[in-house]
Amino acid sequence: LLFAMGLGTTITFASSHWLLAWMGLEINTLAILPLMCQSHHPRAVEATIKYFLTQATAAAMLLFASITNAWITGQWNLEFMSYSLPTTLVTVALALKIGLAPLHAWMPEVLQGLDLTTGLILSTWQKLAPFCLLLQINPSNTSLLLILGLASTLIGGWGGLNQNQLRKILAYSSIAHLGWMILVLQFFPSLTLLTLLMYFVMTFSLFISFKVNNSTTINSLSMSWSKTPIISSMVPFILLSLGGLPPLSGFMPKWLILQELTKQSLAPLATLAALSALLSLYFYLRISYAMTLTMSPNTLLNALPWRLPSNQHTLPLAITT
Amino acid sequence: MLKILIPSMFMLLTTWTSPFKQLWSTILMYSFLVATLSLTWLAMPTDTGWFYINNYMAYDPLSSPLLVLTCWLLPLMIIASQNHLAVEPENRQRTYISLLISLQIFLILAFSATEMIMFYVMFEATLIPTLIIITRWGNQMERLNAGTYFLFYTLAGSLPLLVALLIYHSSMGSLSYLSLTSLPLTCSNLYANKLWWMACLLAFLVKMPLYGVHLWLPKAHVEAPIAGSMVLAAVLLKLGGYGMMRIMIILDPLTKELSYPFIILALWGVIMTGSICLRQTDLKSLIAYSSVSHMGLVAAGILIQTPWGFTGALILMIAHGLTSSALFCLANTNYERTHSRTIILARGLQMVLPLMATWWFLASLANLALPPLPNLMGEIMIITSLFNWSFYTLILTGLGTLITASYSLYMFLLTQRGPIPHHLILLEPSHTREHLLLALHLLPLLLLIAKPELVWGWTA
Repeated sequence: LLFAMGLGTTITFASSHWLLAWMGLEINTLAILPLMCQSHHPRAVEATIKYFLTQATAAAMLLFASITNAWITGQWNLEFMSYSLPTTLVTVALALKIGLAPLHAWMPEVLQGLDLTTGLILSTWQKLAPFCLLLQINPSNTSLLLILGLASTLIGGWGGLNQNQLRKILAYSSIAHLGWMILVLQFFPSLTLLTLLMYFVMTFSLFISFKVNNSTTINSLSMSWSKTPIISSMVPFILLSLGGLPPLSGFMPKWLILQELTKQSLAPLATLAALSALLSLYFYLRISYAMTLTMSPNTLLNALPWRLPSNQHTLPLAITT
Repeated sequence: MLKILIPSMFMLLTTWTSPFKQLWSTILMYSFLVATLSLTWLAMPTDTGWFYINNYMAYDPLSSPLLVLTCWLLPLMIIASQNHLAVEPENRQRTYISLLISLQIFLILAFSATEMIMFYVMFEATLIPTLIIITRWGNQMERLNAGTYFLFYTLAGSLPLLVALLIYHSSMGSLSYLSLTSLPLTCSNLYANKLWWMACLLAFLVKMPLYGVHLWLPKAHVEAPIAGSMVLAAVLLKLGGYGMMRIMIILDPLTKELSYPFIILALWGVIMTGSICLRQTDLKSLIAYSSVSHMGLVAAGILIQTPWGFTGALILMIAHGLTSSALFCLANTNYERTHSRTIILARGLQMVLPLMATWWFLASLANLALPPLPNLMGEIMIITSLFNWSFYTLILTGLGTLITASYSLYMFLLTQRGPIPHHLILLEPSHTREHLLLALHLLPLLLLIAKPELVWGWTA
């Protein structure tokens, strides 16, 4: 199954023909579905169905857009999309696939239904294939991408404020970060990749830390200081890095994106995006309060067996000039 | 310069590797060494004023007093925290000291930055250790709220600053301090330029704090443990003032009209927060509001943009840093004995702790700006430059001075004089450590009477 998923993404990476790209995406979706409903309880199955429906819709839209493009321009090549209708459709389809606002509604519920590892795969690996397509099609519809991006950062921020289920919080944080990535897509695509990679590293370490503590709500996190004190002391840094505070590495993509936006004379947009990052910072801060900065009463020091996952920490304090 | 920065970084290593029994004395000795070395910064032989270390770090007569204040404060913070941390497990003590040291490193980098972006990154970087100190080691339940207010007020002000700096960079090409004087942004009366001006200043005004956006300060100061309060009051507020002084250079033509409301707000804040001080029941809150009051005067002095204004602001910043920190230490001595910040619970201390009363006396006199202390020097220079700008400010500043004097005396009289309350039956005698701490705070202040040129800044 994992092999099939890897295969799907790789096919999409390597494709320059729309049909092949679509096939890669479909293989990807089909491969992850059994992984998602492994636990057989109704919420997981419901999440799987929701995921399947949304991804299938997106893939169908993608296919439709590529066929329209083929009709108009007579070729199936990925890079040569020059008409606005297919390009816009493809952008919207891919936005549905990765969960950008306003096409984000499935994301929190789907992530909530999965266990943490599958959720990790969903938020990191599954984003690779659509992004590679997005990067290649040279989207030229400026305002669409900017609206998607800004709406995502705002909705990702506001939506996460009222949650105490960790998986939903991670879903909203994913939406917000994807918003940042889309903002800069047409100006400086390498920054999109940079943001994507940084986001992967940070989310990966966060998911793994939650998995080690076996906790899925903020309240159950508050016991983690006795189980894994070292991880508990590192997690605030990961969370604040996700929030984009200097001098942690998470600041770097935000800074570079803001720089690019101001160079393109989009300064008010840059200010709005920066301020919306404050919204998501609030719930990251709340998690770090529960986890590290307060100590809940606990009678026993549990000496649980230490699992040593590969925990990539984003701690190198990126002090740049 | 590097001989200060690199030992500070290695101090982090020392906290984690020293044997536990000698932890505090080692760190204390080390930080005193660094602080004494930092005094060499005060000697200014060069004629351009800028003293270079490398391409990215330099200091000049404006930043060197603040740098020395930062380095001087670290041993003082360590002395002050020794008592309340003694009950914590070993690793947490080491973590606390590491946070203080990392704060010191960021502050040194901030004050010696030559590029505005480096200053910005370090300015933000100081938020994280301070947040952790306040929320993890504060004493009351409200500390979480305080931490959130602190972080969000400061960030909401500084994110527009980031965008404004990037705009300036994209149109002017460089943000280095050296070339700032020759590259002012062209003045046009577009609304966007006014917004840009506002974005540049807002972060520093929130940090200073200006009266309207000062809500984070009483919360953060009150809930922080002693070292947190000390560093907040003494240095972090001055980051705001320092940043404002640096960025005034590029804001020039617009500032003549646009700064009007902020000067008035600052002066009004002096009076308002002074009046609030007169009605406080919480000792730390009183000192926090007095900080807002003094920094309001500093803000007004900087916004006036005259040489006397800048000089007065710098002197007042240094003097207020030492005084406020000393007052917080005194409040902490009360807190450690009674575990309460209420003033009326610990009255009449002159009968019980007479030596401490000396320090209370000196600190209160410094707070109300008694001559010949540098506090007065700073205040008089600012008041004079404000008077030069407009006659009517004299009403506000004169009233402000009067109210400052009255609340400082009120604080002194309430804590020291009068009958001891009946419930105080067991107060520990003053520790030598506390006397040392306060002496080290007030001694530089007294010495500055003799040679104020050290803290005058470029203009004199």
